[in-house]
Amino acid sequence: MEHNVLASILANGCDSACCGMWFYLIVTILKLVLVFAVILAFVVLSVWIERRVAGWIQDRPGPNRAGIPLHLFQRFGSKEEQPCKKLLHFFGVPQDCWIAKLFRWLKLDREIPTFGLMQPCLDGAKLFLKQELTPSYVRKVYFTLAPMLVLGPPLVAAAVIPFASGFSTPLGDVNMCVANLGIGPLWIFAISGLSVYGLTLAGWSSNSKYPFLGGLRATAQLISYEVAMGLSIIPLLMMFGTLNLQSIVQYQADNGWTLLPLWGEGLTWERWFMMLPMLISFVVFVTCVFAEANRTPFDMAECETDLVGGYHSEYSSMKFASFFMGEYAAMVIGSALVVTLFLGGWSIGFGADAALHNWCDWFAVICQFVMFLIKLVAFIFFFVWVRWTLPRFRWDQVMKLGWLVFLEVTVANIFLTAAIIYFIN
Amino acid sequence: MDAAISSILFYLFATIAVLSAFGVVASRNPVNSAMCMALSFASTAAVYFGMGAQFLGIVQIIVYAGAILVLFLFVVMMLDVKSEEANLSNLPRAIIGVVIAGVFAGMVTKAALLLPGATDGVCPVKALCCEDCKPEATAATAEGELSGGALPQLAEDNADVKTLGATLFSQYNIPFVILSFALLAGTVGAVALGRKIRKD
Repeated sequence: MEHNVLASILANGCDSACCGMWFYLIVTILKLVLVFAVILAFVVLSVWIERRVAGWIQDRPGPNRAGIPLHLFQRFGSKEEQPCKKLLHFFGVPQDCWIAKLFRWLKLDREIPTFGLMQPCLDGAKLFLKQELTPSYVRKVYFTLAPMLVLGPPLVAAAVIPFASGFSTPLGDVNMCVANLGIGPLWIFAISGLSVYGLTLAGWSSNSKYPFLGGLRATAQLISYEVAMGLSIIPLLMMFGTLNLQSIVQYQADNGWTLLPLWGEGLTWERWFMMLPMLISFVVFVTCVFAEANRTPFDMAECETDLVGGYHSEYSSMKFASFFMGEYAAMVIGSALVVTLFLGGWSIGFGADAALHNWCDWFAVICQFVMFLIKLVAFIFFFVWVRWTLPRFRWDQVMKLGWLVFLEVTVANIFLTAAIIYFIN
Repeated sequence: MDAAISSILFYLFATIAVLSAFGVVASRNPVNSAMCMALSFASTAAVYFGMGAQFLGIVQIIVYAGAILVLFLFVVMMLDVKSEEANLSNLPRAIIGVVIAGVFAGMVTKAALLLPGATDGVCPVKALCCEDCKPEATAATAEGELSGGALPQLAEDNADVKTLGATLFSQYNIPFVILSFALLAGTVGAVALGRKIRKD
């Protein structure tokens, strides 16, 4: 409703063309803020997921503290000394029954639990307040520029990801995608590929051996895997016939997700033949996304067993935090792209999208947005799961996999898809 | 307003592109040169975006991002940056450089003169940045394409991809194939050289 109100205020003093312009500008800025907030919130959330899942996989609690202590409220003037005890008393629950014990076990009598969700925020605050140490031997300009180049690109790349379908208002249609470009996936490849400049420059400008090796590895890895990544989505583009991510998701909402064609045209046997090249594409693409995001088993650039800390060895405080956040932002963008291309993006599936749109546009958009976030969280969980399951590859294995396996497989896959399309039509 | 914004952006990115291109040749440090080159190519891509040629712009970034990284590696691995910084240019080299630059400048001027509207009194820059295509620019609705409107509004999603592909694979098919073979020869040569070094 916000859009409507703002736009109608502006409409009073404007003619219709100018008003359309203002409407477009305001809606775009609102969408930008929303995407920015979602990505940054997901950076924090994925750090938390990473730690909790790591703890779960390794059979330890993980970060479960950092609750908000209740005596904090007391200090700010709250007269409630023991809110938990008073609450129990209010409902007439005795202090030694199982509910009270459960409350005490959850530490509800001492703090408001956050299940460790505050931990990444507090870590961020700690890094922000730490002393920043710049070694004297670094090349200062590039040393400062590098963290920005790592954190910036993933945030820009998010602009083309559609996070819900559109709806129409009296003043114009709103497309829930910041920049509805006709080149969606290429935009993300190009822009998020730029973040490797940050790694390379960080490695070079640190002017010491291990960071330099880390930077070189990052470069070689990007060049090797970007080829396979670009080629692996060509079968998808052949099937969809468009490069626009919003249209790709719309197609999947109508005719079944790429990997789950269970409604619409997805029920035809042609689509089930297409599953083979799609699955190959999916495996190659997801592996390449791991490699591009520099995550274990592909974190050669910061592999602590042979390179100390890799490209960020010489960084401290907020500059280190930028690298850290950049890595997680790249992971969020990679997950969003995989979800958009293979898992239906915002679509709820089973024809529910069209039905919801017929009923109420607004409600449909909100449901789709929530659906997109759920899928995103699920895929980030998968990312973390892989990290704590597979050991790190050796460097020569990474190169071999990129050039001798993926490149050939993706090229063969393109021909396979072309053959299937040719013989079916 | 659309046209004004895209004009401003055109002049901004064109200035950055020219200045950083100057930085490539002016700076003594080869790493600075490589980074200026990256900046120059990126702002050229932004100019393409402003003209609605989104596919061309993004391909420019994808191709040259990797290429400049490799150039950067060559600089870092093969050149001694400090001695390069001290190296003064000599006259013969400068003359060769001027001749090559002159030839390229002539080529670019010829190409610019062939653009529509270049010879009949309209400034070629204006023809590029959509001053006289206002009808299309204002017709773009609230949620329209981001293109400034120098090219006619493209109706389809990926019309620029289609146009580029159709032109490249029909009208210019033979030059395209010849160029691909040249690149393939380069790749094969690089692999052959790399293998030989490893055997020794």
